[in-house]
Amino acid sequence: MSRPWAPLLFWGCLQLILGAGLAAFDEVVPALLFLASAAPVLVLAAWNLVRPPRERPRRLPGLSVPVVLIAIGLAAAAIGLTAGLWLSLVGAEIFLFGAVWLGRELYEERRWAR
Amino acid sequence: MAGGAPPVAAPAGGRAVAPGERAVGWLASTDHKRTAAKVGVASIGFFGLSGLLALLMRAELAQPGLQLVSDNTYNELFSMHGSGMIFLFLTPAALGLGLYLVPLQVGAAEVAAPRLALGGFWLYLCGGLAMYSGFLTDSGAGKDTWTATIPLSNSTHSPGVGMDLWVIGVGLATLGTLLIALTILLTIVRLRAPGMTMLRLPVFSWTMLATTFMVLASFPVLIVAMGLLLAERHLGGVFTGATGSIAYQHLFWFYGHPVVYVMFFPFVGAVAEVVATFSRKRFFGYRALVLSLLVFTSLSMAVWGHHMFVTGAVQNQYFSLTSHLLAVPAGIEYLDLIATMIGGAILLRTPMLFALGFICQFLIGGLTGIIVASPPLDYHVNGSFFIVAHFHYTLFAGSFFGLLAGVHYWFPKATGAMLREGLGKLSFWLLAIGANLTFFPMFFLGFDGMARRVPDYAPRLGDLNLLASIGAGVIALGVLVFFANVWVSLRRRVPAGDDPWGAQTLEWATSSPPPRHNFTALPPVGSYAPLLDRREEAGASAPEGAVA
Repeated sequence: MSRPWAPLLFWGCLQLILGAGLAAFDEVVPALLFLASAAPVLVLAAWNLVRPPRERPRRLPGLSVPVVLIAIGLAAAAIGLTAGLWLSLVGAEIFLFGAVWLGRELYEERRWAR
Repeated sequence: MAGGAPPVAAPAGGRAVAPGERAVGWLASTDHKRTAAKVGVASIGFFGLSGLLALLMRAELAQPGLQLVSDNTYNELFSMHGSGMIFLFLTPAALGLGLYLVPLQVGAAEVAAPRLALGGFWLYLCGGLAMYSGFLTDSGAGKDTWTATIPLSNSTHSPGVGMDLWVIGVGLATLGTLLIALTILLTIVRLRAPGMTMLRLPVFSWTMLATTFMVLASFPVLIVAMGLLLAERHLGGVFTGATGSIAYQHLFWFYGHPVVYVMFFPFVGAVAEVVATFSRKRFFGYRALVLSLLVFTSLSMAVWGHHMFVTGAVQNQYFSLTSHLLAVPAGIEYLDLIATMIGGAILLRTPMLFALGFICQFLIGGLTGIIVASPPLDYHVNGSFFIVAHFHYTLFAGSFFGLLAGVHYWFPKATGAMLREGLGKLSFWLLAIGANLTFFPMFFLGFDGMARRVPDYAPRLGDLNLLASIGAGVIALGVLVFFANVWVSLRRRVPAGDDPWGAQTLEWATSSPPPRHNFTALPPVGSYAPLLDRREEAGASAPEGAVA
């Protein structure tokens, strides 16, 4: 088996069978939750089938400060929901700054790859 | 199509780096090995904190009556111990191990989305710090068990910022670990080396693939549940009445059961690699194991209702059936592990000792799982110390031993230095004795009616509780010896070489520690054990310099 999407598809199908079994036991709402959970793996399998990996060289970043800023900004914004609006606003600002920086980093990376 | 990992362009550089810049470079590094190391260090920190809370709990429970802490503080202790160990230690440690090893095992130069992994680490770290920062607030840290059951966790019963921080922290940490898992999955699917077909993936990588399926399917549900719980606490009207409580339980346990296997499968993989290497044999029943892994992970998504047997709000027949069916793939995995050892030239090095500890002790956790999978028996033991014993046999005596098998096995690869055998064996025996002394009496305590999550108990249960508390002390000693081993081994290094064990998989074909882009050259991959193939072709049983 050399097709990487095969185990994903197989697993997704197992999920659908078990979900159908649950529905047969009159557990309709949990069965829907269960069936929906197979979606990410099936979508990934389909994506991999449609867009196989690139064969050309990848420019890999050595480090990425904006990603750290985005994560910390997101965390601060979320914690601000209970700690106060000020922290949410600071977090949102850090997030935005990191996102713009990341956009620039990705642009440079793509330019190099071309 | 075999992966076809694209070549990697070397990063630009050449100028000297200042120390401050080096620290930023380390913290923001996208190298999967450094991100995994960060996850490892953070998870060890949270393990230390959560373990300390367990010691306090056992100190309180050593005698009947209240001696050390109040009811309220005890609630915080067990809630933060459980949530710390699950959300912040074992789950991230399992995924961190995968993040380090999977690219090496599949012959990739990097992970598929290094930024995603880095962001995942920071979200996880921030989430963990948020959860623990609850101890600094007036209302205290989260105290509604690791499941935050409704209505205990609503704003009426648990007001204050501390519980909010717990909810937000769990959401952030779970999002972080989800991103790390996604990175691992994409790496396996898209970045395998030429020749590395899916049926040539090492066993550990297969277990990581199965793990990421469960993460991808179940972790988003917990993130949504935490969002809804926060809304319930601030706005109300989300989880109201009896149906609200049941709805929350469905959402939580839809995550809560698969996560047990997320904390289990990577260590089955680690143990499988250790058993094959130290039995000097090819892994037995590879294809059967792969199939059983996929069936196991799928079934493990379909058993969450057995946590809700006593609610009377789920179809017990369905969930009991699926829970019992788990024994089939689990049995195949055990058969494969044991059959690999049969006829092998077994070397009882420290990693192998921990692997054997995992196999024996997890069996106790697994067999007692059959009891809680049966509704009539579960009605009796639900909410008792029997459950505590059962899941500590799976997660501590099982998964934690599997983790230590992996750590002792791959430590030379990650650091270039060998761990000391004497200290390793000492820590193994202390941990094994401590674990059984602590958790085995809990089965009897539970059957005798000792309720979990209560700081006091009937005086007749005092002796077994004292035994369990002494066992907890022995565990702490074992953990200290392990850390002393790491410290000594890094300070006075015994060079490991590329392949000190005579191992079978691709990560041992590169230097120890591996270079930035993992490999300078890859050996041909003709099976899931390419190094063993190479040795067999050369007619050697183990490489020169390997530990005999």
